[in-house]
Amino acid sequence: MTKHAILIDLTQCVGCHFCEAACQANKGLPADTQLVTLRFNEFTGEDDAFSQEMGRKQCMHCVKPACASACTVGALRKTADGPVVYDAAKCIGCRYCMYACPFQVPAFQWDRPMGLINKCDMCADRLAAGEQPACAAACPTGAILFGERDALLEEARQRIIKAPDRYVHYIYGEREAGGTSVLYLSDTPFAELGFPEVGYESLAHANEEVMHATPTVAAGMMLALTGVYWTVKRRNELMHRHPIDFEVEEAEHVAKNR
Amino acid sequence: MWQRIDKEIRTMPWGVWALAALMVFGLSVAFYRLFAGLGTTTNLNDGYPWGLWIGFDLFVVAFSGGAFTLAAIVYVLQMHEFHPAVRPTVLTGLVGYGSVLVILVMDLGRWDRFYHFILFPNINSALFEVSWCILLYTLVLISEFSPVVCQKFGWERLGCFMKKIALPLVIVGVTLSTLHQSSLGSLFVVMSERLHPLWYTPFIPVMFFVSSVAAGLAMVIGGATVSRWVFKRTLSRNLVAELGWFLPWVLGFYLIMKIGELLAAGELGLLAANNYYSLLFLAELAIGVVAPLILFSFAAVRRNRNWALFGAILVLLGVFINRFSVTWWALKPIDGYFYFPSWQEIAIQVGVLSGAVLVYTLVGRYLPLFEGTVDVARAERIAQRSPTPQPAGD
Repeated sequence: MTKHAILIDLTQCVGCHFCEAACQANKGLPADTQLVTLRFNEFTGEDDAFSQEMGRKQCMHCVKPACASACTVGALRKTADGPVVYDAAKCIGCRYCMYACPFQVPAFQWDRPMGLINKCDMCADRLAAGEQPACAAACPTGAILFGERDALLEEARQRIIKAPDRYVHYIYGEREAGGTSVLYLSDTPFAELGFPEVGYESLAHANEEVMHATPTVAAGMMLALTGVYWTVKRRNELMHRHPIDFEVEEAEHVAKNR
Repeated sequence: MWQRIDKEIRTMPWGVWALAALMVFGLSVAFYRLFAGLGTTTNLNDGYPWGLWIGFDLFVVAFSGGAFTLAAIVYVLQMHEFHPAVRPTVLTGLVGYGSVLVILVMDLGRWDRFYHFILFPNINSALFEVSWCILLYTLVLISEFSPVVCQKFGWERLGCFMKKIALPLVIVGVTLSTLHQSSLGSLFVVMSERLHPLWYTPFIPVMFFVSSVAAGLAMVIGGATVSRWVFKRTLSRNLVAELGWFLPWVLGFYLIMKIGELLAAGELGLLAANNYYSLLFLAELAIGVVAPLILFSFAAVRRNRNWALFGAILVLLGVFINRFSVTWWALKPIDGYFYFPSWQEIAIQVGVLSGAVLVYTLVGRYLPLFEGTVDVARAERIAQRSPTPQPAGD
């Protein structure tokens, strides 16, 4: 299900923005549109030492994506290969995915008359051709690793074990929102780098639990309404007939015995 | 024929022309929006992809809930004394859903693909369910209203047929309403990271459903007073009072759910925070639930048209606050994003709502909408003749 993944070691990121440029070139995006965004976080330590740490924002490619669960027309889909892909030909631009995504990743093309969604698809077309995503191929320092999710998780753990002083002991994406196919290592706590703190359960679960109750509610409601209708009708009939009933009964009795 | 039309146009009240002007202006802006795009005409952004329009959609659908509530009362519970209220209420639902459909198309980035929810279903999506239910329920409302049109134009056989299938229509309609009133709430089940915990709960679908029943009843009760002014036709005071009797029960149930959910989730402490969120939450409960609950518990309030209108407005205000909270006011802010509707958004919304009121007014003027309701003019004539004068129509 979640074969491929990306591991990003922020300690090796030098902030060259090659990944952003490669992404834009590969997707043919306009200059002001980015699917992958690096951002600088500036820190001043206790000894007034200034440092810049890289944060990064892109689609996390959740194992169980809430956006795909929410999408009205099923334009978003998790593939067996790993990426969460987007079918622009189906999308109606309702923007529900933007609220469903706990990482606030999908972005709308506000400047276009007929707007659609912008979102990283892990270069699904390149993956199909046996290549790695454009950003991973472009990274000069090896900060972006492409591979199988299990292997990358193991690699991330090994890195933390080998250099425990260098990393915060946390792999962002291992369990976030039910696990993601983009994983991060960092030397600065993730919250300080602007990574949202999300729960460990996929939001898709709560949604689908509620949605799967629909047929039951529909059938139950129809049955209940029919039942109530029949009961009230019967009650009304009985209530209205009673005073006359006895006389009809009596009349029938008289007629029979005549 | 032309003389007749000419005379009608000359005698049309100025309010109708005002509504028409607002509608034409709003629809012109809407036309512009369709070809200029959302970015140029709205203040929506990546932090607030939904805004004023979705808030109004939720609110309008909620008070249009009177149609299914009354249909259930009259046709399923067979309390036929409420029958005079059915036609005006079904029309409220119809113009309400009509306006929501127009606004929903406005809100789509690719409005030209509005039919895609039929071609590409995603059964896990709450918005997919909402789209289908609103489409089907609008068809049900049209069918439920068709006898009025048939009566006007003398299409007796079609009218009789529609009346014959009224019960199955009502059962399907009430079921569809239950589904989409609640699944409009389900939209927010996936938003636990964004919606403030005071509002977020997996039970939000049930709360949406219950509050739509309250809003629907309030719309019928308040509408009776307004219709007395506008159309000189109204529901009898007994009928309004009996409808009002339902309200404290529905509101009480809603209040218990709201507080009970906080209690069960251990979030009751958030109410004591005395911040923006707690005040917003308490404002909804105080204005829209507790106050009308107390008011409608008094028979004197239920029987007084002006007090009943006041109470109904409180209920509607509460539901308004609630629906705008979950779509806008109670969302956790995101750094760098702010939303307040643009004038175009407001103009389109006002235009579409004016159009809805305009259609209602014209239908009320020309179609047999108020059969079985109280004729205020006649009541006034009787009052003049009677030796002990009564307040007109009351």
